[in-house]
Amino acid sequence: MSNVWAVIRREYLQRVRSKWFVIATIGGPLFMIGITVLPAYFMVQNESDSRIVAIVDGTGVLYDRVAPRFEAAGYDVREEEWNVDIQTELRQSTTEGDLGGFLMMDDLTLETGDATFYVTDRPSSIRSLSLQSAVTRSALEYQLTQQGVDADAMLQGGGLNIEMLSDEGANENEPAFFVAYIGAFFLYMVILLYSVAVMRATLEEKTNRVVEVIISSMKPWHLMLGKIVGVGAVGLTQMAVWLASGALLAGAGIPALVAARPEMVGLESIKEVLPGLGMLALFLCFFILGFFMFSGLYAAVGAMCNSDEEAQQAQFPVIMLLIVPIIFVMQVIQDPMSTLATTLSLIPIFSPILMWARVAGGGVPAWQVGLSFVLMTITVFAIAWLAGRIYKVGILMAGKRPTLPELWRWVREA
Amino acid sequence: MSDNGYAIRLEGVTKRFGKHTAVSGFDFEVPRGVICGLLGPNGSGKTTSIRMIMGILNPDEGSVSLFGEDPDKTRREKVGYLPEERGIYKKMKVIELLTFFAEIRGVKRSEGRKKAGVWLERLGLSAWGDKRADDLSKGMQQKVQFIGTVLHDPELLILDEPFSGLDPINQDVLEEIVRDFHAKGTTILFSTHLMHQAEQLCERVCLISNAKKVLDADLKALKASERKGIVAVEFEGPDDWIRGPEVDHTEEIDNGLHLILRDGADHQAILKRGVDSEARILRFDLVEPKLHEIFVRHAGAGSVGDAGMPAGAHPGGVS
Repeated sequence: MSNVWAVIRREYLQRVRSKWFVIATIGGPLFMIGITVLPAYFMVQNESDSRIVAIVDGTGVLYDRVAPRFEAAGYDVREEEWNVDIQTELRQSTTEGDLGGFLMMDDLTLETGDATFYVTDRPSSIRSLSLQSAVTRSALEYQLTQQGVDADAMLQGGGLNIEMLSDEGANENEPAFFVAYIGAFFLYMVILLYSVAVMRATLEEKTNRVVEVIISSMKPWHLMLGKIVGVGAVGLTQMAVWLASGALLAGAGIPALVAARPEMVGLESIKEVLPGLGMLALFLCFFILGFFMFSGLYAAVGAMCNSDEEAQQAQFPVIMLLIVPIIFVMQVIQDPMSTLATTLSLIPIFSPILMWARVAGGGVPAWQVGLSFVLMTITVFAIAWLAGRIYKVGILMAGKRPTLPELWRWVREA
Repeated sequence: MSDNGYAIRLEGVTKRFGKHTAVSGFDFEVPRGVICGLLGPNGSGKTTSIRMIMGILNPDEGSVSLFGEDPDKTRREKVGYLPEERGIYKKMKVIELLTFFAEIRGVKRSEGRKKAGVWLERLGLSAWGDKRADDLSKGMQQKVQFIGTVLHDPELLILDEPFSGLDPINQDVLEEIVRDFHAKGTTILFSTHLMHQAEQLCERVCLISNAKKVLDADLKALKASERKGIVAVEFEGPDDWIRGPEVDHTEEIDNGLHLILRDGADHQAILKRGVDSEARILRFDLVEPKLHEIFVRHAGAGSVGDAGMPAGAHPGGVS
């Protein structure tokens, strides 16, 4: 077994020390932050300097509700009494730069939530949204309060208490579409990424003939195992870094940002959709089982090919096994208990993506999840057996790629 | 250690690739402690035979044993293997590459690293240990690969075309190292299509041609049995002394003549006549049969291709 360790160590250290690993691991999260948070930040940043806003409240009841919300969005607010010339006056001070803009509300505002915000620079879309909701919310609150309704509770979204009348899924989490959907895609991505890495490593060893030296001192199966575990460990390392930086962003980065820029308070809501630790552990289990199944298949593909181009073609049937569940993932999330969803998610090779989607989406009986884990584990061993045999013959074979009957002969004879 | 006196034993080994038979009924033994050359033209089955010894290919028929045991048990730690197609991880640092090669042969990491350092020093590569393998020249990479072959102090070295691609200086360096291993008692099997290389190094030779063994013998004994009466002479002055009942005919060579003697004739009588004559003898030299000639004789002309030495005068001799 010391051989296998040597292979694992080499595979792991070579990859983790490479420039690309460092770039992808650190650059990945930075890129994500870059495309989500920064544009919002700069959009807010770039607006005009004058933040004084005049509010003309034609209704006489909305100012007290609207003003604090504008202040929260970063404006200084002052009230102007309505008169016939007010609009002309305010237009002038705004174009001259004394005012950042002015908001006109009238009776229609109370009925439909429409109001007009006069500015010289278009506010960022994020700020527009929050200003718009400031007005409509204020109008709604006012109207509801008039009816004797608890507007706050209602506008928070109320609360639908779900009472389960059967045991099935009683202790499942609440449906979380975001986690299910993004998680499924992320699983697809990382399983593919690292399995292809196993294929490339196999192909490289084969084409530069190192394999002959190695095979003369260890069983091909051990070499394959070492490569898969080594690359898998790299994948786990990379994800650990990503998760840690994600946790850091959610736990420290966003609060800091919000503290510095109160108008970006909306970012806080991201936290509500983040998965918990239990979900992360489940995610890793699906990744590990999925990776073991697909990396075995990809190792076999690498072993039977002689060049990158050949491997690109030969991997097609394998990649289909990953794409099929992605095609169905939407349907499965929307109706996780349908026959289609149940059947597909229990097919072991589809389970990593589809069973994940069902579990994360909520409401899957525990026994089905357990069954899928058992089936996946059996499949991991079956694929290892099959791929190990193809690998053993293929890795030393030069020349034409084998046809299916030839492949079957390899499996039988190895 | 078993009491079996052979490091390698092949019995009736046959390997086919589809309709093509690469090796056919190959019986072959290498006694312990011997340097043995596996000779033959390109495509004759040398590499296939070696790959079967190394367990990279399984023979269709016949059996392989190493040190009298199942080769799968002994191969990893007792055998060092330099394949014909050289292969290293190009992106690894040389010292790490060598440590890895030692490790998969059962050497501890720290020890493997130390030994790799010593060998790099010996082959003049100590400045390159921290460089990536693909920064090295082809010749240097080949030396690195050779080091990877011997780090675990194998009892049996199997070298497939070890000299190809090396410049003459490095060929000499490698030859010297092979001799050192031989002096320590290591058994060495190497394949080559260069007859003169085999002639300088080997104690035993095995000739194969067209998948079949042609000859397998001790080199000295082989040469003695194949020796024909040929004398190379070089002289100034009259040539009447070379004519006599012993000489069948003469052939011109560079700077002299080959005297082809009749069967059973004694060259001593010719030499005596020469000394008594007016001629000044520069050279009088019994010609050893070249391995090349022996091979051609046994395998048929043409099967050696362009690889052998040209038949010519033996260097040195009386002067």
